[in-house]
Amino acid sequence: MKKFLIVLSIVTLLVSSLAGCGNTDNKKEEQSNSDNESNGQVETNDNQDEEITLSFWYKDVGVKEEIYKEAVARFENKYPNVTVKTFQARSSAYKQKLPIALSGNDAPDVFFTWGGGWLKRFADEGHVLEITDKLDTSRFKDLAMVNCVNDDKVFGAPLGIDIGVVFYNKEIFEKHNLQVPKTYEELKSVMSTLRENEVIPFVLANQPKWPGSFWYMYLVDRLGGEEAFDKAFKRDGGSFNSQPFVEAGEYIQDLVDAKAFNDGYNGLPYDAGTARQLLYTDRAAMMLLSNTFINLVRKEAPDYEEKVGMFPFPTMPNGKGDENNLVGIAAPVWSISSGCEHPDLALELINELTSVETATEYSNRTGSQTAIKDIKTEDPVVQQLMDMLNNANNLQMVYDQTLVPELAQKHLETTQEVFGFMKTPQEAADEVEELAKKLLD
Amino acid sequence: MVGVNPRPKSLKGDYMKKFKNSKITLFIVFLLPTCLVFSTFILYPIFSTFINSFFDWSGLSANKTFIGLTNYINLFQDSSFKATLVNNLYVIITSVLFQIPLGLVLALVIVKNNVRNKLLSIIYFLPYLLSTMAVGLVWTLFYDPYFGVVNNALKWIGVENWQITWLADPKTALIAVLIVVVWFYAPFYMVILRAALVGVPKSLYEAADIDGASKTQQFFKITLPTIKPTLVTSSILSIVGSLKSFDIFYIMTNGGPGTSTELVGTYMYKQAFVNYKMGYASSIAFVMFLITLLVSVFVKTFNRRRGQA
Repeated sequence: MKKFLIVLSIVTLLVSSLAGCGNTDNKKEEQSNSDNESNGQVETNDNQDEEITLSFWYKDVGVKEEIYKEAVARFENKYPNVTVKTFQARSSAYKQKLPIALSGNDAPDVFFTWGGGWLKRFADEGHVLEITDKLDTSRFKDLAMVNCVNDDKVFGAPLGIDIGVVFYNKEIFEKHNLQVPKTYEELKSVMSTLRENEVIPFVLANQPKWPGSFWYMYLVDRLGGEEAFDKAFKRDGGSFNSQPFVEAGEYIQDLVDAKAFNDGYNGLPYDAGTARQLLYTDRAAMMLLSNTFINLVRKEAPDYEEKVGMFPFPTMPNGKGDENNLVGIAAPVWSISSGCEHPDLALELINELTSVETATEYSNRTGSQTAIKDIKTEDPVVQQLMDMLNNANNLQMVYDQTLVPELAQKHLETTQEVFGFMKTPQEAADEVEELAKKLLD
Repeated sequence: MVGVNPRPKSLKGDYMKKFKNSKITLFIVFLLPTCLVFSTFILYPIFSTFINSFFDWSGLSANKTFIGLTNYINLFQDSSFKATLVNNLYVIITSVLFQIPLGLVLALVIVKNNVRNKLLSIIYFLPYLLSTMAVGLVWTLFYDPYFGVVNNALKWIGVENWQITWLADPKTALIAVLIVVVWFYAPFYMVILRAALVGVPKSLYEAADIDGASKTQQFFKITLPTIKPTLVTSSILSIVGSLKSFDIFYIMTNGGPGTSTELVGTYMYKQAFVNYKMGYASSIAFVMFLITLLVSVFVKTFNRRRGQA
């Protein structure tokens, strides 16, 4: 009897502890079976009757998510045997989950990235499918395609473009008889008038470090032109501690000294929104940020939208940069994982996600312009953004998406330190250049 | 167990019989799942982290290049890493000097068994029940320079000059987060220490009262020495916890401004998940493990040499 009980207990305990492991093993078996199947056939529009599931990962919520889901629905109508399983995660969680998924067994078939250096990292490791010959790149604006190309190979298709602009409160400007500043000197005089009237000139929520980066990038671009970053990044005779980079840091500290920003700017989180409250309550007048701010205004404080205007970043004294240059990001970028079993269908999904319909909805409802050519918009704000982009000679992609992740991190940290006077501009630039030498050379 | 259950030598044969009997086997059978879970989720990850630390591996692909001790050599020369160790040291010191005494004070307040104390103990314990994410986010709002509770409260009391940009200033950011950490973890020690306080025999206090000792003398000469083992355990827990700190810091400052609140934990996370240097991050993890192990062993042996007869 005792022996029977022992055997029974062993079996029960072992079975129950192994129960959890069962599922993943089964999944792996299934996948490897279907891999064998599709390897046997040519990559054509096969499997018309077979039930196919594509997985689609993205990070947006709200209006953007609705638009993606509508595109998915249109795609599923065209291909009735295909189901698209969507998965959404917020920015920082997404940044963690995607790399793990791509290097594992359940890589999503179609997924979102910001293009640039982060996508390049995955492409270099062989996780992204090259679609150079399959995607009709002429549909897209050239300035945006740059963000999806690595070594002349196309790895993604862009849907949207976000650019950095200065938002300002038109009412406050009117009240104090202020004109939109076009040069740095004009900007400083606007700022001092605002301070005299106890209005904070600029809101800066720099705890996540990237808002401050916008300032730095625009300053470098206006001072040294797009060649400054280009040459430094491509190691083509430039460096990250060349004159424009150091000067940009000096101007940042000049702005801080001139009391351009709210108190505690280096510790204020952006997502929590208290920084935007300063704008909504008229305690601050301006903010330099990407146009995604408009979307937030529409959600958080719709009445504020009529007070808001936009102007481009002013020119700098002795600046070599074109005053129409923009800093921004061509995102979302849709890519296909290299392990995808139905690459043609995945490409069709991407085409639907960047179709004229999707792009029109995107430019009408999200407050951002699209990367697809010849789309008309009903949104006056987006029209303004599109005009800015059409006039632009160059769109500098934000450094923290263009640079390799480790260098991007160093750039963000040192820029924040310059803002906080924790390092001199020269020291900060030298540090970035030193790391760049190690990583890029 | 001398003198309790003397076994005559002739019964040794019975002992051997028991071995062949199923009782020991039954013990092993019931321990097996625990061992399996422990091995799979604790031992195996530690072991594979150790192995990974000898490779140059991004964590993104299957390419692993064996580089021996290079990661460790780089680590010892890494000035950023050393700066994080200093920050962790601040956390440890604050934990031991503030969390545990605060826990003790709270425990002393609620030590007597009555309704008021039961209610108070629930209230005091609430912080520890909250999720660290929620705590981090809410306190970040508390510290907001314009709308935050902290600065506005200071303004209301009239010490407007004390308003500072808590999380923005590298000099105050660490202190600001540590305040939250102490607030969050002190209740945990309150519970442990209250149990210890309750375990001090009342007869000792009665004898001291007869001898005319004051309450203060009683506290220092009776209470403290008696609960010392619990204090030592608390210190070890506190030190180990401080070395592993991550979530509250990550949410409130993410190591910033710059790197003034960067801890070993956040630094390791960035190496692994932002810079894609999983091999290097593994070496950091393993060094953390060794430091924690050494500290625990040190505190235990130091105590054993001092206290135990």
